[in-house]
Amino acid sequence: MIAVGLWLAAATAFAADAELLPAEQAFRYSARALDNRTLEAVFVIADGYYLYRDKFSFAVAPDGTVLGAPELPAGKIKTDQFFGKVETYRGTVVVKLPLAGAAPGQSVVLTADSQGCADIGVCYPPTRQKLTLALPTAGAGPTAQVDAIPPKKRWFQ
Amino acid sequence: MTKTFVRWTAVAVVALAALAGGFYFGRSTPGESTAAPLLGLTLPDIDGRDQRLDQWRGKVLIVNFWATWCEPCREEMPEFVKTQARLGDKGLQFVGIAIDQPDKIRKFSSDLGLNYPSLVGGYGALELSKSLGNKLMALPFSLVVDRQGRVVYTQLGPLKPEKLTTIINELL
Repeated sequence: MIAVGLWLAAATAFAADAELLPAEQAFRYSARALDNRTLEAVFVIADGYYLYRDKFSFAVAPDGTVLGAPELPAGKIKTDQFFGKVETYRGTVVVKLPLAGAAPGQSVVLTADSQGCADIGVCYPPTRQKLTLALPTAGAGPTAQVDAIPPKKRWFQ
Repeated sequence: MTKTFVRWTAVAVVALAALAGGFYFGRSTPGESTAAPLLGLTLPDIDGRDQRLDQWRGKVLIVNFWATWCEPCREEMPEFVKTQARLGDKGLQFVGIAIDQPDKIRKFSSDLGLNYPSLVGGYGALELSKSLGNKLMALPFSLVVDRQGRVVYTQLGPLKPEKLTTIINELL
C-alpha cells in the first residue's frame, strides 16, 4: 500500500513538468537582418518565465563574418545571494548585433545561447538555438523575422 | 467481507489511477530498471575522486540534480542539509549531482556548509536525468531511491519540506 501511495505521489508530481514548456518554447528565439551590418535577435519569453541578461551569447557563421558586442537592453535588477546583482528579462527582449564581414544577400547562421527559469521553481540549462538569415540585398529593407522553431512545428508539439 | 472488498477496490482504483497517470505523462513505472543506470553511475566529487552511486545502496538515497546557476536549487538545499544532519544516522543519504563547474560547486558547498557529497556532473549527467524522467532536463530534479535500490519518487522543481518528510518517513 505504501508503494502504491508513493507511486501515486510520483504520478501526480509529474503533473508539474507536464505543464512546463520546453526551453525553446518558453524562450522563443527569432531574428531578422536590418541590413548587412546589423542583425536583430528577438526573444519572446512566455508568461511565468524569465531569462538572465548575463547568460546571453551570440555567434555567427560562416567564417569571415564577425559579430560585435550585443546591445542588450537593461533588465530588472534583483539581488541573488550567491551571484550578487543579476538582471533578468521578461516579456520580449530585442538585442541588436553589429555584423562585420558579410556581403549583401549572403546567408548567415545566427546562434544564440540563453539561460532562464520558470517561476514555478525550475531552471533550464543554457540553451543553444540556431537560425539562418538571408541578408538583404543592397538597398533592400530589413528582412522578415525568421523563427528558430518554424510555426508549423509548434502546432504539433 | 464488504470492508475487504471496499479496501481492495480502493487499492485497485488507486493503482489504476497511478497507472493512468504514469501513461498519461509518458512515464514508465518507477522500479528497479529505472534505478539501475543511476546507481551504476560513477562521477567525480569536487576533489576529483571517482564516486560510484551504488556505494550508498541499502540507504534511503535522495539524488538531487542541481547547479549554482539555478536559484530554486540553491533555495531548497539548506533544508536538505538539515534533514541530512537529522536523519543521516538513520540511513538517509543525500547526494547532489551538480551540472556545474567544480570551483563554483566548491564555493557554494562551502558557503552553505554542505554535509553530503556533491558530485560533478556534466551535460551527460543531465542526459541521464532525462532517461530517469527529467524530460525537459530542467533543475532541480530529485529522485528518491529506497533501500532496495528502486526509484520510488521523482520530482522536477523544489522538493517541498512536507513532501520530503512524508516520503522519508515512509521509507526509513
